[in-house]
Amino acid sequence: MKKKERVLLYIMICAMCAAFWACGGQAEEIPMGRYADREVKLPPGTFEYMHPCPDGGYYLYGLDTELTYVDAQGGNRSKDRSWENNANIHAKYEVGVSDDGASVFAYTPKFWNDEELEALWIAGDISYLYYYVDEKGQIQALEPHGEGYEKGTNLNTFAFSPEGELYAASNNAVYRVNVENGEAESLFATEKQVKSIVFAGDVMLAADDGKAYFYDRAEGKLLDGNDALDAFLSSHSVGGLVMAVSDKDIHVNIMDDFAGAANDDAGEAEGASDREASQEAADANTAGGGGDAHILYMACRTGLYRYIWGGSVIEQIADGQMTALGDTQRSPRSLQVLDNGEFRVMFSGNYMVEMYYDETIPARPAKELTVYSLEENGWIRYAGQLFQKEHPDVLVRYETGMDGDNAVGKDDALKNLNTRLLAGDVPDVIVMDQMDIEQYADKGVLKELDGILQPYLDDGILYRNIVEGMRMTEKEKIYAVPMMVYLPLWLGEEMYLEGEDSLDDIVAGVELARQKHPEGPILYTLYPKDVLLQTMPVCLPAWTKEDGSLDVEKLTAYYQAVRKMWETDSAGFDDAGREAWQKNNMEWYEPEDMDMADIGFNFQYAAQQNFGETWLQLGFLMTPQVGMTGIHVNKANMAADWQEKELEDVVTYGAYTGQADNVYWARTIVGLCEQGKEPELAEAYMNLLFSDPMMRKWWLDKPRNHSGLTIRKDSLNDILDINNIEFSQTMGFKDPTGINRPNFWPTEEEKQWLYQMMEDASCCYRPGTMLEECAMEVGARVLAGELTPEEGAREVERKMAIAMEE
Amino acid sequence: MFLLPGFAGVLLFYLLPFFEVVRRSFLKSGNSAFVGMDNYRTVFENGAFSLAVRNTFLYMAVGVPLLMGISLLLSLLLRNLLLRRRLVSAMLLPMAVPAAVMVLTLQILIDRQGVINGVLTHVSEKIAAFPAFAAIDYLNTEWALVVVVCSFLWKNTGYMVILWLAGLAALPKEVEEAAQVDGANRWQSWHYIIRPGLSGSFFTIGMLSVLQIFKSYREVWMVAGSYPQEHIYFLQHLLQNWYLKLEFDRMAALTVILSLVLLVVCLLLQKRMEPER
Repeated sequence: MKKKERVLLYIMICAMCAAFWACGGQAEEIPMGRYADREVKLPPGTFEYMHPCPDGGYYLYGLDTELTYVDAQGGNRSKDRSWENNANIHAKYEVGVSDDGASVFAYTPKFWNDEELEALWIAGDISYLYYYVDEKGQIQALEPHGEGYEKGTNLNTFAFSPEGELYAASNNAVYRVNVENGEAESLFATEKQVKSIVFAGDVMLAADDGKAYFYDRAEGKLLDGNDALDAFLSSHSVGGLVMAVSDKDIHVNIMDDFAGAANDDAGEAEGASDREASQEAADANTAGGGGDAHILYMACRTGLYRYIWGGSVIEQIADGQMTALGDTQRSPRSLQVLDNGEFRVMFSGNYMVEMYYDETIPARPAKELTVYSLEENGWIRYAGQLFQKEHPDVLVRYETGMDGDNAVGKDDALKNLNTRLLAGDVPDVIVMDQMDIEQYADKGVLKELDGILQPYLDDGILYRNIVEGMRMTEKEKIYAVPMMVYLPLWLGEEMYLEGEDSLDDIVAGVELARQKHPEGPILYTLYPKDVLLQTMPVCLPAWTKEDGSLDVEKLTAYYQAVRKMWETDSAGFDDAGREAWQKNNMEWYEPEDMDMADIGFNFQYAAQQNFGETWLQLGFLMTPQVGMTGIHVNKANMAADWQEKELEDVVTYGAYTGQADNVYWARTIVGLCEQGKEPELAEAYMNLLFSDPMMRKWWLDKPRNHSGLTIRKDSLNDILDINNIEFSQTMGFKDPTGINRPNFWPTEEEKQWLYQMMEDASCCYRPGTMLEECAMEVGARVLAGELTPEEGAREVERKMAIAMEE
Repeated sequence: MFLLPGFAGVLLFYLLPFFEVVRRSFLKSGNSAFVGMDNYRTVFENGAFSLAVRNTFLYMAVGVPLLMGISLLLSLLLRNLLLRRRLVSAMLLPMAVPAAVMVLTLQILIDRQGVINGVLTHVSEKIAAFPAFAAIDYLNTEWALVVVVCSFLWKNTGYMVILWLAGLAALPKEVEEAAQVDGANRWQSWHYIIRPGLSGSFFTIGMLSVLQIFKSYREVWMVAGSYPQEHIYFLQHLLQNWYLKLEFDRMAALTVILSLVLLVVCLLLQKRMEPER
């Protein structure tokens, strides 16, 4: 190589190094100012929606609560509801409110009291009915009719224009409805159900999940659409998107922008010029005190956005992750823009926040706490929001390996995580569900938690037995701890599982039930896999010997037992009968996606539909309140469906045992990373997870979720205290069967039984292990008759031997 | 000078990462403590490694000669056919089939309730002289390696035929014609003219066949998962599973070992098969 070439080579290598160094990033100055939010205390009642009024006040309403006006200063007054006495309403569905307090709503009548109405209903001549209540509380039936309106079409979205005109949308059209005579004029067709209707001068904007329709009310014609807005709606409508129009603009830090499909190919330069143009239009609009350039604000889970009418850029002015908008458990329902640049957002679940711009806090928090889980976990997300509220200087970044949109499987997600770990990009907190805790602890990824847990255990705050169940035998330390657990539970006639103490007892119970009920199913098992799902969690922990090897004898016994159960269950019907049984249950059941959690779900909900067809239910108690009340409802349904009232006394429930005793299913298993960037924050986050607000409020707010039973003792007691429960609101029951749910609340004795079960639970079952996956796959072949139980066990042993060797 | 950009790319994206792998192979994953040759020792003492090496080499020992032999035979048969081009195009089809479709096809064929078992059962029922046929779960018995080798052949034969045909086309026809005029039979033509003339192609096709063996892991994994029947548990399974288990240190050691072995194999092949210059 000549000297010249050598020099050139050195220069190239230096240039490359410099480029890499530059890519490393430099310290970035974070601008100040971003939107924060504060909760608004709402008047008594259960409100779901808000109608913003021009005077800064708003109407609150729900499907079952009175319309309440709240003025700009916070004073409130409820509208008289006496008109309801004259109305034949079974359930209300959609409501629209005008600025002066008039309302319109869709409802279903109590048709079972009215034979004529019932006949029309059955014939399909009517579906929803409508009432219009004027601002004085005078009620009148609204019967939409006219050209372009097909009788029986459901109107699902209502909006009053500032002038008081009523607009309504069906699933394929938008109408103007005369409230006086019900005349409905079809304005334009839509591709999907319009979800939002807002007004900007003469123009009405109606938006569905993928398209925005601009309609000139004065000219009576549909205007050109906007590709950027359409693209935005397509990608941001999941979880709810609400809109509001204002002629007031605000000057804030733009977090991000969504240029939409129109700008995708044009590059950043065009996006930037669009943004400038949008800002100029907004400035002109603001300076001129109004004009044609209205500003559309939109709120959804990813944040708060601004769109200048006619522009092609949608700018993010608040990040959902840093505000209440990011709460996946709530959906935004209504948005109001206030004159001072603040926003009010009404959420589902009787919750409202005001979003205000705080110039004293950095646009993006300087510190970042990264939380990782393989799958989305609502409780963990909720904890992140709570933590962020307590630490405004911290951004909690919650990342999931399999987010549902990208079709990444478990193995790929783990590979991605491991690559990150290898590269030193370590999360601070890691949810270990479906992950091998021992492996990550062995490799020094996880931090031992004994120090953090000790005070909680010494003070008896957490269930010690459950925490200790996570202690690693070899290292004698705890590296991850479950925040919730599921407990195994069966329900059926006492005689079938009397003295149940082992897997063989369950088999004997199934056989006994078959003797009494020769036809039809015994268990709620549609497919062979279900038998495995319902029994494996209480058996799998017993298959591993102390030296870590597989106990082939126990596995063989397990396969023999489940095969007998499946054969006994199948003996009740032929292939056609089973097919029909499967078909009838498909509404509740997606066999491809089923896991044990769904079986538990079926136990509490879907199974209610099948008592009388099945005689033994094996499942898991997954929620404190709904689960416990569900047991009672199931019992009632069993007695009612069988029409054998005397059975009510012999139908019972209890914990069930397989090959392992006192099994609990660990859920939301949290560990901290040894190499995390923010160890102190991670510990603070862990302490928040153990705190009473996290352990209690979650279940009181969202009792129907299937997170599990909290491992904090006092929180579990509080959750099961009937005085803390607002049935109509939080339980969400509409009581369609006439069952008065509070009557099914667990008695003191039952609560003590549950607490004792929690105290006894000491054997941890963690799903998603290699042994489980292998045993499940082979088990399906054993039940299908392709392998004998002995062959199946040997097959698992062989596969596990390779894994052990690795 | 013109090689510089290419060399820089190789340096940056291959050599430097490889040196990093070599470095890591002497460290313990997790705390990065220097452990000398421990990782290599662990790999050699590992039972799964022995199994994977045995299977991989058996697969290679069966698959590569079969692929080369069958494709060479086919190319010799096709060489003078008029329909050669069309036939070769048809043989290339398996290369164009996406892996997922190939796996699905394979499952339809070899499943316990699959086409092959169906046909054999049907035949054994129809012909009284045949013993009753019991359906075989091919992927979960010793037949698994046969299935994998067959799918490997099905997928790669067409491509190799093209390579052989290219090699054959490069041979001067006059020499062969002269030999025929001199009374050489087909075997003599093959032995003394064609085979020596193809020695360059032998090396290239041999190397490509070995590489294809390693590339065929994707289909095996898709059809049988991370822990397949023990006869089709290959080195890539081991690497993949170690990656999932965070055994980066062992992985690094195994990668270095594999690289060295491949290098030696390449050099040996080159020495034996490449024509003397």
